[in-house]
Amino acid sequence: MTKYLLSRLARGIISIVLVVLVVMILIYSLMNKESIFAQDPIFSKQKLNNKVVYQYQQWEKYGYLDYVSYADWLKEQLTAGAVSEEDYSKVVTIGKNADADGEKTSEFVQKFTEYYESKGYEVERLPGITRAGTKKYQEGGNPQLFAYKNIPVMNRVWDYFTGIITFDNIHYVKDELGERGLSFTLFDPAYGGEKFSPAIMGNGTKHKYLLYFDSQFPFIHQNFMKISLGTSYSVNQGVDVFDTMTSSQGAFKTSLVTYPTGLVENSADNLHTATYVSGSLNKGTVVVKDRYVDDYTSVSTYKNGFSKIGYSFVIGIISVAMAYVIALPLGVLMALKKDKFIDHLGTIYIIFIIAVPSLAYIFLFKAIGGSFGLPTTFDMINPTWLMYILPIISLALPSIANLMKWLRRYMIDQMNSDYVKFARSGGLSEGEIFRKHVLKNAAIPIIHGIPGSVLGSLVGAIITERVYVVPGAGNLLTNAINAYDNGVIVGVTLFYALLSVVSIICGDILMSMVDPRISFTTKKGR
Amino acid sequence: MNDQLIDLNEFQLSDEELFSVVDHDELASERITAPRYSYWHSVFRVFFRKKINIVILALLAVIVVFAYVYPAVIGYDPEVDPFMNLLDSESKHLGPTQAMDKFGHNIHWVLGSGAKGESTFDAIWYGSSISLSLALICALINMTVGVIIGAVWGFSKKVDIFMTEVYNVIANVPYILLISVLVLILSPSFWTMVFALTVTGWLGIAYFIRTQVIIIRDREYNLASRCLGTPILRIATKNILPFMTSVIVTLLATEIPSYISYEVFLSYIGMGLKDMSLGKLIESAKDAMSTRGWELEFWSPVAIASIIAVVLYVVGQNLGDASDPRTHM
Repeated sequence: MTKYLLSRLARGIISIVLVVLVVMILIYSLMNKESIFAQDPIFSKQKLNNKVVYQYQQWEKYGYLDYVSYADWLKEQLTAGAVSEEDYSKVVTIGKNADADGEKTSEFVQKFTEYYESKGYEVERLPGITRAGTKKYQEGGNPQLFAYKNIPVMNRVWDYFTGIITFDNIHYVKDELGERGLSFTLFDPAYGGEKFSPAIMGNGTKHKYLLYFDSQFPFIHQNFMKISLGTSYSVNQGVDVFDTMTSSQGAFKTSLVTYPTGLVENSADNLHTATYVSGSLNKGTVVVKDRYVDDYTSVSTYKNGFSKIGYSFVIGIISVAMAYVIALPLGVLMALKKDKFIDHLGTIYIIFIIAVPSLAYIFLFKAIGGSFGLPTTFDMINPTWLMYILPIISLALPSIANLMKWLRRYMIDQMNSDYVKFARSGGLSEGEIFRKHVLKNAAIPIIHGIPGSVLGSLVGAIITERVYVVPGAGNLLTNAINAYDNGVIVGVTLFYALLSVVSIICGDILMSMVDPRISFTTKKGR
Repeated sequence: MNDQLIDLNEFQLSDEELFSVVDHDELASERITAPRYSYWHSVFRVFFRKKINIVILALLAVIVVFAYVYPAVIGYDPEVDPFMNLLDSESKHLGPTQAMDKFGHNIHWVLGSGAKGESTFDAIWYGSSISLSLALICALINMTVGVIIGAVWGFSKKVDIFMTEVYNVIANVPYILLISVLVLILSPSFWTMVFALTVTGWLGIAYFIRTQVIIIRDREYNLASRCLGTPILRIATKNILPFMTSVIVTLLATEIPSYISYEVFLSYIGMGLKDMSLGKLIESAKDAMSTRGWELEFWSPVAIASIIAVVLYVVGQNLGDASDPRTHM
């Protein structure tokens, strides 16, 4: 069984990699690169050569290609010491075209061109555009020299998967900062250093706290390992998809915080999330200097709401539970009273849900719920439990219909099968046949779907969340697609694919646990 | 015993009435005197036995006439008609009675006017024709491709291993992503949408058919048939296809409404057609839903979309029931 599961998991991982590959080909190779500028107000203001350069810079940010400008390369050479300060200032401005370059400049331009062409880059030089009759450049008409290279899909996939999990280490910080190492304390300084709370802290690592306890679920947290699914460019700028999905939202939640300097203050800062920002203490304002003693100054804040996934999951899991609790008895009842009134009533409901566009009935529920005085939108400032009711009902009603439909079908198929007739002729009572045989067998395919619906609630629901303004995860993908946020699209796709692979495997395991006849391993001697 | 022979003459009958010599007729001996059986004839007999089906079919006919004939009869031009009263601010968002008072009592204004002063009634039926065509064409393509590939997938074990992996990969690529990328690469026209909905849409159907084929393929009668040397193609068309007819019809019944529903969904999230289909109408009128007196603009396309979907679904389901030979008793 273990061997089988491992091979299933391996195949699942391969198919996840392929999914990411397909998605990357879709968004990076098939989609027109120009389309990201369609709604960009900065782009339309750019002129001539600057417009071209702006395009390449944006493409680099969205991950389409690698772009290096001549000036960037020179600056790099300067910091590396390969170019003297004097030469740098002389050669950094290039002439109108290659012929107009000075002797020294053209030597460096030559070097730049040769270096990047040997690495497979395309080097492009845009000649300056002057105003008619003068030597002054037009607005945006400065000459430009840069190199760019399209990233091959295979490299992209490889880089992506190797970058998903990163480990924090004590050599992360490049600056001088005293003795590097990890330290273990029983009394976490973030709680004033008196309360018993073990923590592992680091010096030289990215995060100051590597392991700590707090009052937030799941109470023990770690920063050794970080999962990054792709950095967002426009939906949530500069933040990783995984953080976007899992960080809490809403209004600040304050508590008494003891800062490293000993200052105690009512604040929402979560000191446990402190990360290293080079030189931030010296450059910082009085506020920073009053509170911190080292460069671990970047902290996130406690907020009173759930994360995006949190909201989707709370709504999803309650509606899934509700759906199973309501649909199972109703489906059984429909099967028992086949072709009676209750069966017809249930069938009408199922037809309604299947055939009417989901958008229509969600709006219908919203209108009906609103007329009862239930809140129809999510209020993040004054959250109440009432605002969850309508989204949960909107999600539960269609899944109730779906479950009822299938349970009724399976029950009726089982009741017509030969073994039931045999059991009846053997003298078993109807109740016994029903409980011990029909229901058990009919429940197996239903049970197979449970992990899928539980994990599926992490994904969120697109329309329901839009209609009720729920800050959930369901709209992340559509928002990312509309904003051409390629990093987010890939990250969310990976997340979806992982969930679907895991839920199918979990479903199979659950099914083989419930029904001992089902075995995934081939028995010997057969 | 001989003296007990009966003299036939004492009956006083002619020879022809007693006996006549009959030639052996090969054709006649092959004739079976059971009543003629036609599968589709029985399907429709069972289908029309339920009176509700006649009502539903009549409703379907009305919808088809209004969706396809009505816009042609009134000469509806999607480039001109929605913008007829664009500059007349008094004609926008009118209720049915106000609109009829303003423009005269005719069928165009029974549902009032919309945000651009256009007739809601005309817009709905033009939109229905687009949505219906989209659903029918997509269902036709997906069902044809899906059933054929699904049958091959179910029969061949080699194809099965390959296709299952393909299915695992493609089923995990978010459908919305695929559609939006295709819509962005091409333009959001009708045929792009058809392409986007069918390029992977057949895969789910093929997977469903594959499972059904596998279930029936290994039944005893097929095993026997194969042992007797029936070619695979004959098994597929004569032994398995008849079993699948009701499954296919039932599937079709859920497919067509699902495309209408999906088109509405795509329009709502901003990835739909650029033509004024039902989905687009619902999407553009979603703000009118919560405004007093404007609700009709939103609810009437929703109602028509729902009615079309329900009618198609019920017809399909009942046809599916009727096409199961076990109900032909």
